Amino acid sequence: MTAQSDWVKWDAKEISYEIHSPTHHDYTIDKSSFGLRILSYARNAYYYFISDVDGDNCPFFPSCSAFFIQSVKESNIFRASLMFTDRFIRDMNLFKNNNRYSLHATKKYIDPINNYLLEEKRIILTTGEFIE
Amino acid sequence: MIKKIVLFTLFLFNVQVNAQNQISIQYEYAHNLMKTRQYFDAITEFKRTLFFDIDKQYSYSANYSIGECYKAGAMLDNAIQYFSIAQYNARTDDEKISAQLEIIKTNILRRTTERAHQILNEIEKISSINKDSVNYWRGWAFIFNDEWKEAANSFAKINPNHELKKLAEQVDMDKVSVTFAKVISYILPGSGQIYSGSILPGLISLGWNLLSGYWTVSAFNESRVFDGSVLLGLIWLRFYRGNIQNAGDFAVQKNNEISNKALRYLQHEYKGNRP
Amino acid sequence: MSLLNNYFSNHFLNSINFYQTKVLAIILFLLPFSTILFSQTMNIDENYFSPKNRLAFGNFLFIQEDYLRAIEEYKNYLMYIDNDTVRFKYAESFYRIGKYNEAADNFKSIFYGSLLSDEAKLAFYKASFFNSSYNSFRDICKMEGYQSEKYAKDINRLFLISHLMDESILPDTNHFLKAFPDSTKNKVRELYMMKKFPSKKNPTTAMLLSMFIPGAGKIYTGEISDGITALLTTGVLAYLAANNFKHEHNFRGWLFAGLAVFSYAGTVYGSYASAQIYNAGVRLNFDNEVKLYFEKRNYLLPKINFLKTND
Repeated sequence: MTAQSDWVKWDAKEISYEIHSPTHHDYTIDKSSFGLRILSYARNAYYYFISDVDGDNCPFFPSCSAFFIQSVKESNIFRASLMFTDRFIRDMNLFKNNNRYSLHATKKYIDPINNYLLEEKRIILTTGEFIE
Repeated sequence: MIKKIVLFTLFLFNVQVNAQNQISIQYEYAHNLMKTRQYFDAITEFKRTLFFDIDKQYSYSANYSIGECYKAGAMLDNAIQYFSIAQYNARTDDEKISAQLEIIKTNILRRTTERAHQILNEIEKISSINKDSVNYWRGWAFIFNDEWKEAANSFAKINPNHELKKLAEQVDMDKVSVTFAKVISYILPGSGQIYSGSILPGLISLGWNLLSGYWTVSAFNESRVFDGSVLLGLIWLRFYRGNIQNAGDFAVQKNNEISNKALRYLQHEYKGNRP
Repeated sequence: MSLLNNYFSNHFLNSINFYQTKVLAIILFLLPFSTILFSQTMNIDENYFSPKNRLAFGNFLFIQEDYLRAIEEYKNYLMYIDNDTVRFKYAESFYRIGKYNEAADNFKSIFYGSLLSDEAKLAFYKASFFNSSYNSFRDICKMEGYQSEKYAKDINRLFLISHLMDESILPDTNHFLKAFPDSTKNKVRELYMMKKFPSKKNPTTAMLLSMFIPGAGKIYTGEISDGITALLTTGVLAYLAANNFKHEHNFRGWLFAGLAVFSYAGTVYGSYASAQIYNAGVRLNFDNEVKLYFEKRNYLLPKINFLKTND
């Protein structure tokens, strides 16, 4: 009889009765710089007026708009534009390589910005299915 | 000779009673830890009780309590495992039934409600079982599977005016139809969202469809076939398809909010038995 | 309890003479001690928290794989009685729940003057292998005073395997393979060669290829459909730009030209990234394969038998 969960001491924990429904978008405003603040407002407007009503089109996680904001934060606007363009072209590819991306809980392809910062050490690969 | 036998019996009895004292003190100690919500340590002491309990007098209650501790720590798989051991060690029908009810309640919390129903169907056949309690937990199993109408029916079997019957019925009535929201959005974009209470997103959706429709039609009217095809494929269809999908999403979201409101009440305010 | 004793004794006292009373009094006086005497023979000590009972319960928990609880019992036992086997199990419990640092430290405490010295050293190296970096593991291997004659070969093998796990310089091929038993030699040679000559893609090559033909670099890294999509997108945008300039729609011309440039630059950038992702994938797959192979074979280490029994 294994009791693996007891390998770390634990405390009482209440289980929520509520149904957990995943929120589609993260509307938080990034206040770390003026540029990012403006960009977050623009992204929120995009979420509200376009993304929310044009259906679930982005097959990636994080979505293209979130990917863009994150890349601006990690690098600069120029490099972020290149990363975004590359992402957008991969998005348009109708025959995506299933071995390349692993699946997120939302059934979307996991494609973090870390993999495109041109720093091999930061690349995140979640499964070993990348090559046959 | 008789005296010798009596003395020896006394001797044995003394040993026995002392050992019994010791084990019951240990069991009480474990129980106190549980009462003070030190569940991890309580499990250790219950296990110690079981280890030294040569007469197996605590095989039921200590295992049952370990199950309770795990349940309080939200480790439901482990909880079910120990309630099952308790059920196996039950000495009376009552003990067996209460272990089984705990397994049912834990399955409800774990949202493996199918298993909960399965066990409920099995124990319903036992003659000594309280039928009301079966229907009561069946109702809870339905609630945790978001089936409020069925839940209302189960509670009604206990009492037509049962508090939870009324609650479940109300939730069922308040919910919107996901299919209906989608269907009306096919006919008039945005109407599904408005039906689910999201008026502004509904109007935005309608606006986009009208605008992109207008652009597409005028492009074709002016014989700009390439522009027209691009507008149709990339803009209008995108918003039209998106509108239907979103009408469904908005309806589901609305329904979840309704369910969650009731579930919050059940978790924090409801005074009756909870899983 | 005392009530019961009284009841019985009163009953008796009425029916026995003085001499018998004296004997009985002695017996009654000794009665409480009988519990200790008897329970010891039955292995139920009075006190469940005595060192002996702590150990018995700890061993039970150890077998149940309830290691964190077992650690507590062993710790309490060791406060009163020093015993190498228990020390070993105490350290082993840490090892099994992934607390390698504590495990290594506790194995170290049985290094000297113990019958389990060699086993402790072996276990110490195994814990150190998983603890922190392989680099520091190799440093430990070179330290003096920790060597075990009995398990020298096994520990040396672990030392060599560690080179397959990180980016260190591989030892000489012959020297490396010599340490492994014949049954594993072929596979180990294969892994060694994969480590020495990984089938990687050069990011700069990928980038240059995409500079000449947009998307060619992606095709080079195995992302064929991504490459074709990139080529088509850049091509169509460039064509639209040229076409609009031709018909003197200058605004549209510049718009599409700008998009074409972005598409081209993005593809060049993405090709470099694609090669890096490919390489990271090669490394991850290799790491997984090595780990799986050696984990399945317990890193070719001998099993320590006494841990399996309830002693």
